[in-house]
Amino acid sequence: MSRRLLGLTLVLPALAVIAFLFILPLIMSAVGAFQVDGAFGWGNFEKTFDLYTKDIVFTVVIVSISTVLIGIASIAIGGYLTLGEHPVAVAILRWLYRWPMFIPFIVVGQILRTFLSKNGMMNNVAINLGLLTPIDAVSFLDWRGIVIAFVWKQTPFVALLVAGAMASINRETIDAARNLGASRLRVLIEIVVPQVGTTLTVGLILSFVTMMSVLSVPLMINAQTPTMLTADIAFRVNSYGDYGVANALGLISLLLASSVAWIYLRASLKERS
Amino acid sequence: MERDGFLELRGVASRYGSTQVLSDIDLSIAKGEFIALLGSSGCGKTTLLRLLAGFISPSSGEVKVRHRDVTHLPPDKRGMALVFQSYALWPHMTVAQNIGYGLKLKGVARAEIASRVSAMQAMLGLEGLEARKPQALSGGQRQRVALGRALAIDPEILLLDEPLSNLDARIRLSVRHELRALQKRLGITAIHVTHDREEAMVMADRIVILNAGRIAQHGSPEEVYNRPASAFVAAFMGAENVLSLNGHPDRHAFMLQAGPANEATTVQLAGRHLLPGAVEARFRPEAAHLFAKEEFLPRRPGVAFRGEVLAVAYPGGHWRHVVRLGDREIMADAPQAFSPGMQVAVHVPAESLFLFNSPAS
Repeated sequence: MSRRLLGLTLVLPALAVIAFLFILPLIMSAVGAFQVDGAFGWGNFEKTFDLYTKDIVFTVVIVSISTVLIGIASIAIGGYLTLGEHPVAVAILRWLYRWPMFIPFIVVGQILRTFLSKNGMMNNVAINLGLLTPIDAVSFLDWRGIVIAFVWKQTPFVALLVAGAMASINRETIDAARNLGASRLRVLIEIVVPQVGTTLTVGLILSFVTMMSVLSVPLMINAQTPTMLTADIAFRVNSYGDYGVANALGLISLLLASSVAWIYLRASLKERS
Repeated sequence: MERDGFLELRGVASRYGSTQVLSDIDLSIAKGEFIALLGSSGCGKTTLLRLLAGFISPSSGEVKVRHRDVTHLPPDKRGMALVFQSYALWPHMTVAQNIGYGLKLKGVARAEIASRVSAMQAMLGLEGLEARKPQALSGGQRQRVALGRALAIDPEILLLDEPLSNLDARIRLSVRHELRALQKRLGITAIHVTHDREEAMVMADRIVILNAGRIAQHGSPEEVYNRPASAFVAAFMGAENVLSLNGHPDRHAFMLQAGPANEATTVQLAGRHLLPGAVEARFRPEAAHLFAKEEFLPRRPGVAFRGEVLAVAYPGGHWRHVVRLGDREIMADAPQAFSPGMQVAVHVPAESLFLFNSPAS
């Protein structure tokens, strides 16, 4: 056997795993989205848009709001870690901020369910502090709960990337701005963030895609309509065995996720040229 | 020049953790003066500059500008602008945005910023580059943008942190003169940190030599070059040849005893204070004169040493010899080559022989 063939043989198992467990199912479900009673057709998509247009919009809005909030929060955390002058506060924040990263989404859902409900800990504390009367207490277990869960869970990941990038920029560029009289907020917005723009974008896109695929949080927190696409897909498959519509929904969320990646790719190409 | 402090440092000290980085820094700088802070790496010169700029607070002492205490003022309230060693240009801003940022922070109107930026570009030879980003500039251009950014806010004091050390050797020579000329034209007070002796000599009105966080000597370039106050300064200013001699002062002269390589002789003290005992004698390779042993006739006051040439090389302009004098090896320059193995006389003129009491005595 020639060396070349031997090499191919060695890669074959890995290739086979990717082909049969990843690429093939993807193609199958993409094809499945266009199959109605064994023939090609748009039926699944018509049904999807009839039933789930609201949910598609809901998903995009929820994930977009979360992405923006995650961006703001991670800039704030990274900025304080980079520019903060109180060493103890910086050390505490550095130790604290990563923890949510190690907690699974389902547990985040569980925690926030008890925390945000009408009789949950958040309202109890507010009532005990006299900030709220029991009658005014409302449950946050709706779209707000999903946003809170996403932001809480995903901010540490983006903050980790952003803080790392901020730590590696030339400190003298920060000193130069302070020397000319820039306040710390201006240094953050005008000097630091533009220099970590690429890292921030990558982190936010990865978060966007992750949030698009989370099933447990909408199921745990938002058991009502409109809900997120992942919950709809699970419902279609588990309750109706309707793989056609589920595939169509999956394809739509794939398109949403890749459109974000495409925006990023275009921006980074423009930057390079 | 008004000597009484335009910029004054009184007993300034700084520590980093348990390490004393600077101590007892007293310095008075006149308006329009160009000061070079010279020292090897780790001597505290950059710390002193950052302390002046307001990025660190001294652990004791005070900094005054025009008799106003600025010791604890933030960096932008001191009328000082710093040019960084790495230039620290903002990579996401164009040349014009970099230069104009300080004015933007001060709330200057946009049209005014544009005109000041283009005036700055014209002054520094950066015309036509306003839309470029720093990555698209040469090293010399970046250096000028960094300078323009600092000068745009019209500071009273310009702080320069080794701004020439990232430039090619050839560009550096011309930039030295440009920078000095610009400083004179603007009448701005400049404090320039460097580890390059020649750069300090060429550019500065006054050189402040730092050693281990203390001022070892300050004075005009000629003073520190020709009358070093300590063995450290002499060595730092190029007098690397060192010999141990013995002697004692006698009125205005110092009587040197005969040693393994020299006969007894006297040199004028010329105001120096030396104690009897061992002395460290230092001189520069270019100050020594080499003679074939049989030709030697002392024509000028000084000390002659007997020795043997060990090696010779041609670094350009003159021949450099390694000569063994007794148990020491020294360097000496001569216009013609002496071959290795030759017995020679090394004559060091009295004014070029720096004598210091050895630390042991």
